[in-house]
Amino acid sequence: MIKNTQCYRPRTDLLLGKKKKKKKKAKKAKKKKKKAKKKKSTSCTSGKHKAHFTKMATLAVRQSPVGGFSFENCKRNAVLEGEANKVGYSLPAARKTGTTICGVVFKDGVILGADTRATEGMIVADKNCSKIHYISPNIYCCGAGTAADTEMTTQIISSNLELHALSTGRVPRVATANRMLKQMLFRYQGYIGAALVLGGVDCNGPHLYSIYPHGSTDKLPYVTMGSGSLAAMAVFEDRYKPDMEEEDAKRLVRDAIAAGIFNDLGSGSNIDLCVITKGKLDYIRPHDEANKKGVRTGDYKYKRGTTSVLTKSVTALNLEVVEETVLTMDTS
Amino acid sequence: MDTFCTVYCYAVSRSSPDICSLTRIYYDAGCDDLSFSASNGVVLATEKKQKSILYDEQSVHKVEPITKHIGMVYSGMGPDYRVLVRRARKLAQQYFLVYQEPIPTGQLVQRVASVMQEYTQSGGVRPFGVSLLIAGWDEDQPYLFQSDPSGAYFAWKATAMGKNYVNGKTFLEKRYNNDLELEDAIHTAILTLKESFEGQMTEENIEVGICNEAGFKRLTPAEVKDYLAAIA
Repeated sequence: MIKNTQCYRPRTDLLLGKKKKKKKKAKKAKKKKKKAKKKKSTSCTSGKHKAHFTKMATLAVRQSPVGGFSFENCKRNAVLEGEANKVGYSLPAARKTGTTICGVVFKDGVILGADTRATEGMIVADKNCSKIHYISPNIYCCGAGTAADTEMTTQIISSNLELHALSTGRVPRVATANRMLKQMLFRYQGYIGAALVLGGVDCNGPHLYSIYPHGSTDKLPYVTMGSGSLAAMAVFEDRYKPDMEEEDAKRLVRDAIAAGIFNDLGSGSNIDLCVITKGKLDYIRPHDEANKKGVRTGDYKYKRGTTSVLTKSVTALNLEVVEETVLTMDTS
Repeated sequence: MDTFCTVYCYAVSRSSPDICSLTRIYYDAGCDDLSFSASNGVVLATEKKQKSILYDEQSVHKVEPITKHIGMVYSGMGPDYRVLVRRARKLAQQYFLVYQEPIPTGQLVQRVASVMQEYTQSGGVRPFGVSLLIAGWDEDQPYLFQSDPSGAYFAWKATAMGKNYVNGKTFLEKRYNNDLELEDAIHTAILTLKESFEGQMTEENIEVGICNEAGFKRLTPAEVKDYLAAIA
């Protein structure tokens, strides 16, 4: 095993090109390196594979990754998916939360809003899921995108932020949570499908950030994310005013999420709200049940004998047993 | 604080008639501390004597929160304590990430104690020169544990550690009963500290931490002053 990795060492010394060297020296250096290569490659492979390995090594310019995802399986997955599609099957997709989430900064703090529908393709997987996640007592985060990614990412950052707060002895800041989230998402190069709206109140006042799966962030007074973000943003752009009162701001967020719920298929069900102010936190779930399940008005159960039987005739079918197979069932 | 560590880490693997005597840690605890478990909470109290008046007492704490509901105090070497505090906090968070539940005090103590035991059986390291008192509250019950450098841990109703722990324990034995409330417990704890305290006890040179259903809290000097006034 160890021998293989030695062959795989990226030959950056060859690539970064010591071109300015004189020919003689270069030749000598090359000879030495060839000898070194020979020694290494003979130890792990036979002659015909030697060239293959050294070629492969020189292709890898970037440094070997330390921690984080290994993307080696992505090529394999793409090939598998292609082959499955050829035969007519489609690989199962991750559950996305086709969502409307938004946040607004008002006079005393921040209000975060979210719908509660989780979709799996064209099916509603969860009619009432919670999309506003806890980060710290004064910071909450709405998540759109892949449900598992938003859930686990916010949990990990919440734990790390608690450790950080204990270590510093201070109330955590929203900017810290933002940094931690964006650095983690960038490390995974967008493969963690988490689009977040992060809001909270700290010693410097109320803050609101939107964080994209690839790791870019925006600090704004009002943000929306998810498939219903355009509908929600339309409402914000029309009615947002700086320094709103709490009730006005709550109504605005409720209307923005409602716009997402009614105009986007990926969003639906109820509206959750989270009001964060300096001293107080209100986690209102549900704030508004915009889509209550109706109650059946009629009943289609009839008593036996409602329909009277006029005639009855029985015809026997002459069937021939062609094939008989017995499937055993494991009842252990 | 003088500390003597006679640890033969590599020799532990060799057979010896009495392995316990190979790793023996002598440390002059220096600072006393004690803890008291009441019916509705736990008190941790410690003296924090600094060698010079020039020390900024508020910059360094002996009573440290580990999670919202668990706190810790020590007797022994400060730097070793810092390492354990960080470890304990990380262990608590790891537990939370897996089980989505605040770590029960007993579980945390088990994990911290096994860290301390690890350092008595590994090569190239010495045992931690601290004895910990860990106080926590879960499921409507107060808990108090002690963890030794050997990695042994015990649950207590009330205990004292450090220089004058013998006197402290006898004092506590006389004064302990199951029905004490938290306020009385704080009062008793401070009185016990006073027994072995040299010099004037002020809010600057003792630290008190309490743990009840609201969680763990280190008392501010102002609050400690109120309790001290009640004694004087």
